[in-house]
Amino acid sequence: MKPHEFKLTEDGIKAVLPPLEAEIMEHMWKVKVATAGQVYEVMRQKHPDIRRSTISILMNRLCERGLLERSVETGRGGMRYVYSITSTREEFEEKVVQSILDALMSNFREATYAYLSKIKK
Amino acid sequence: MTMLFLIVLLEALLAVIALAQLGLKVSLVAFGAVMLFYAWASIHDIKGRYIPLQRAEIPWLYDGIAEMAKKANIPMPRVYLLDDYIPTAYSFKNAVVLSLGLFEVLDQDEILAVAAHEIGHIKNGDTKTFPLLACGKYLMLAFTLFLMVLTRNAVLSISALALAGLYELAWARFHKDREFAADETALRLLETPMSLKRALEELKYYEDLRTGMKSNAVPSIEPTIERKPKQRPPIIETHPSYDERVLRIIIEINGNRMIKNRIQ
Repeated sequence: MKPHEFKLTEDGIKAVLPPLEAEIMEHMWKVKVATAGQVYEVMRQKHPDIRRSTISILMNRLCERGLLERSVETGRGGMRYVYSITSTREEFEEKVVQSILDALMSNFREATYAYLSKIKK
Repeated sequence: MTMLFLIVLLEALLAVIALAQLGLKVSLVAFGAVMLFYAWASIHDIKGRYIPLQRAEIPWLYDGIAEMAKKANIPMPRVYLLDDYIPTAYSFKNAVVLSLGLFEVLDQDEILAVAAHEIGHIKNGDTKTFPLLACGKYLMLAFTLFLMVLTRNAVLSISALALAGLYELAWARFHKDREFAADETALRLLETPMSLKRALEELKYYEDLRTGMKSNAVPSIEPTIERKPKQRPPIIETHPSYDERVLRIIIEINGNRMIKNRIQ
């Protein structure tokens, strides 16, 4: 996933993802694999008003972004969708930094070089 | 439904009046083609990413549907799960299709309520009449074009167009009534009728969230969801809105309660 915008005022991955999607990803990087129902139970603790529909829509949006992938699994509770991460948090952060630096280099090459060499010293 | 058949007959009559023998021949061929298509459709299943449900996979769902089918006095329908994350359900012939997305947003009672609505369609014969009446739509369109091109008569063309429009309106009305009827049947089949209301409310919430109609239902949650642009609603709605269905369900449930209380 390549971020299309970077919010300077937000912390961590919330700078590149909407807040709830960022929270879901934080959890998914911890557990690696989960159903929407399991994520809903976790998210409900912090957001008591949240609904299953919201989690389902957001997790499928994260699939569209390429951060999660969905597969059908037959488990104890019957057939269901299981979501798993497509990259580790470190790999994701690397991609974010890479795409931001690429954008800076193509738009402000000299200034970016100058600043990078300054902070290297 | 009689109204719909009458409109098709009137259109055919128009063709016979305008084109005599040719009109009669075309009408007969068109009716034959529709009947052939209907026969073909009743043999072949609708294609999709269906997973036939075995009892061992989801016993509560299979048993729940079996019990409702018994109550409705219909054979046990085939149950398919659809590999689609969007919550949806439909029925054809004696089969009920439930998408896997339903299992993410609804609880067990609510999923059974959705299945009950589909059993309602099977019980009320909608899975047989809907495909036939849908064919009628194309038949009306073909007849109208045929009359306009061959007769080049303004009065006949306008009459044919008016009949085609009338068919659309009557079809939408009929479709809506059948949806309400399926809900009413479902309420009689369900152990907890209120679960149908809850299911519809959750599905409405899901749809609103996806289409971006809800702007600030839960502060700090919904506004963060990026939305796709609103889709333009169809000119003629064939489905009643969730709100209309929920209202009718509340009236039906409360009406039944009142009758029960009076009997006691």
